[in-house]
Amino acid sequence: MGLKVAIVGCGKIADAHVEDARKIPGVEVVAVCDQEPIMAEQLAIRYGVPRWYTDCAAMLAAESPNVLHITTPPQSHLALTRQAVSAGCHVFLEKPVALVHADVEALIAAVVEAKKKLSVNYWPNFEVQALELHRLYNADVLGSAVHIESYTGYDLAGEFGLALRRDPDHWVHRLPGKLFQNMMDHVLNKIVPFLDDDEPYIHAIAYKRGGGTADSGANEILDELRVMIKGEETSAYATFCANARPVGQTLRVYGTKNTAHVDFNARTLVLERKQSFPSALGRLRPPFQVAGDYWRQGLRNVGRFRRHRFHFFDGMRTLLTEFYQCIEKDTDPPIAYRDILRVSDLMERIFAQVYPEGQA
Amino acid sequence: MKILVTGAGGFLGVNVVERLLAHGQRDIRCFLRDKGKAARIEELAASNPGSSFEICYGNLKSKADCARAVADVAIVIHLAAGLKGAPAELFVDSVVTARNLMEALGARTEPPIAQTRVVLVSSFGVYGVVPLGRGAHVDESTPIEQCPERRDPYSHSKLRQEQLVREYQQKLGFELVVLRAGVIYGPGGGAFSNRVGIQVGPIFVHMGGNNLLPLSYVVNCAEAIVVAATHKDAAGQVYNVHDDEMPTAWEYLRAYRKHVKKLRSIRVPYFATRFLAGRLEGYHRRSQGQLPAIITRYKAAAAWGGNTFSNAKLRGLGWRPLVSTQEGMMRTFEYLRAQSMGK
Repeated sequence: MGLKVAIVGCGKIADAHVEDARKIPGVEVVAVCDQEPIMAEQLAIRYGVPRWYTDCAAMLAAESPNVLHITTPPQSHLALTRQAVSAGCHVFLEKPVALVHADVEALIAAVVEAKKKLSVNYWPNFEVQALELHRLYNADVLGSAVHIESYTGYDLAGEFGLALRRDPDHWVHRLPGKLFQNMMDHVLNKIVPFLDDDEPYIHAIAYKRGGGTADSGANEILDELRVMIKGEETSAYATFCANARPVGQTLRVYGTKNTAHVDFNARTLVLERKQSFPSALGRLRPPFQVAGDYWRQGLRNVGRFRRHRFHFFDGMRTLLTEFYQCIEKDTDPPIAYRDILRVSDLMERIFAQVYPEGQA
Repeated sequence: MKILVTGAGGFLGVNVVERLLAHGQRDIRCFLRDKGKAARIEELAASNPGSSFEICYGNLKSKADCARAVADVAIVIHLAAGLKGAPAELFVDSVVTARNLMEALGARTEPPIAQTRVVLVSSFGVYGVVPLGRGAHVDESTPIEQCPERRDPYSHSKLRQEQLVREYQQKLGFELVVLRAGVIYGPGGGAFSNRVGIQVGPIFVHMGGNNLLPLSYVVNCAEAIVVAATHKDAAGQVYNVHDDEMPTAWEYLRAYRKHVKKLRSIRVPYFATRFLAGRLEGYHRRSQGQLPAIITRYKAAAAWGGNTFSNAKLRGLGWRPLVSTQEGMMRTFEYLRAQSMGK
């Protein structure tokens, strides 16, 4: 693989993009760009990127990258994507894809029209255990999906949360769905592959549970969201939770044959199996089965650690590898555009319910 | 003479405002980002009715807020800076904000820029002590860091902030005073500088050993800032800020244990720290960052290289510590003990 990658947007998440793109053999991060020169400079210096720019058009013209990673706030994604594909680049986007669903549609249309490829950083879906879950599902181990529970926790005192709390003018506060819009991609993109409907019924409620803090930016943030989703065959429950500890990220798929539970933080996948033994014997066996699953998962994780595949963003490396390969081989991108659109549509409908005053 | 204090609601900022009042300054603009941190400043405003005491809320990321902040001020005491968070966040909070403030000064007409003084509070982290070798003496003539990307992100951002303000000083021509502070401590602050050691899970890894700890009690540091801000001879100068008495890192840790709470710790001598840092550095490189390189040989040499320090230049300006190190530590430990029991 020989790809030149450039990055526009030098905020916090850009670090992960530089680090993970460079882990892939043959990929070179040739330049970074930010309207704010201080930010472009700091990223280039810290990672030894050869050149930095403050104008994306100038960077695209001078560097001719194969792929542009867009890690700016979502307000600029549509315009930058159009600029990138016009310059002959494929696009890797940080979530959220755009401010509103119509922009996501326009963005994907621009990529398709230019015959370029696009992917979005839905990295948890490319963690080993998530890929294993889909393998089990496709092999009919779970049967068909009856119900999905996707849970994502958040720490408003963490590295990313602090940025919101400290700054009432942070771009996240200006999103139609505010904090939820910055996080719900990761809750919903785990559900959508199991839900075939284009317009399922949804019911969303949001509220603020955390108390006020010394940081004025935090006091107006709604921090809990619950969403009920009902499709033709499958229902789902999506939870965003900023107050429970530990900060978890889990997915439970209830199938007609078996149920699978994925813990993205512990990096485990456990199968809850239908028991064939009768009565009390059938109740004796499950803890040993689950314990065995955890034991094997723990050993596999040790193996991944020893092979240096246990990074926080390991799923992002896998996703990037698949995306770059699809560019080289001219195959379908690793995330179907239909799924990106369905996630975006669900998000817009959720925000219309929880922030009705923010909708046009 | 109106004085602007940025970051006035912070740990150091409140003390600087108090010291300004103690020095008879009555025309003060306190610039704060968070209204939640305004309580003490509001108390000071209420208890000094004769003074022109202005509380100005805003964000230095906003150019309009910066313009409001610098309007009519003759002295800018710039304390606001990022202390923790992701590297990008530190650069925004320390460097972008400083640039905005300098741009606002440049765009202003009154008072004339040549009659305006900027007092920048920087850090010992900007010194390039590693090439000087173990035990090097640090004073204001010590060269600044040449490899900032090899240091911790906080030091990197503070160095860039200082460089940027110097660039603007050259361009605009204001008076610049830089104070480089050691370890600022006191009630309201944290318990340990990484010069003492770092917490790794349940264990405190003590790597400071018998190195001198350049403590600066927050009141003494604030006093130094005010003395330098208002002294005519300070223009164009750099001052190191630390108290006269410096305990060793081990003495500080021992006193903490005695007066605050027990702490499970392991003492790692310098040669072992360097060895472990080298191993971690190598592992970090081989594993492509699977474990963070929180300690490298370079960082270890910068933090635990056994430097000695001098505040002679600051003393020459007339500054004297108002609180002894012993008293400062007792006040700090009393606060930390109360915090600890509160939890």
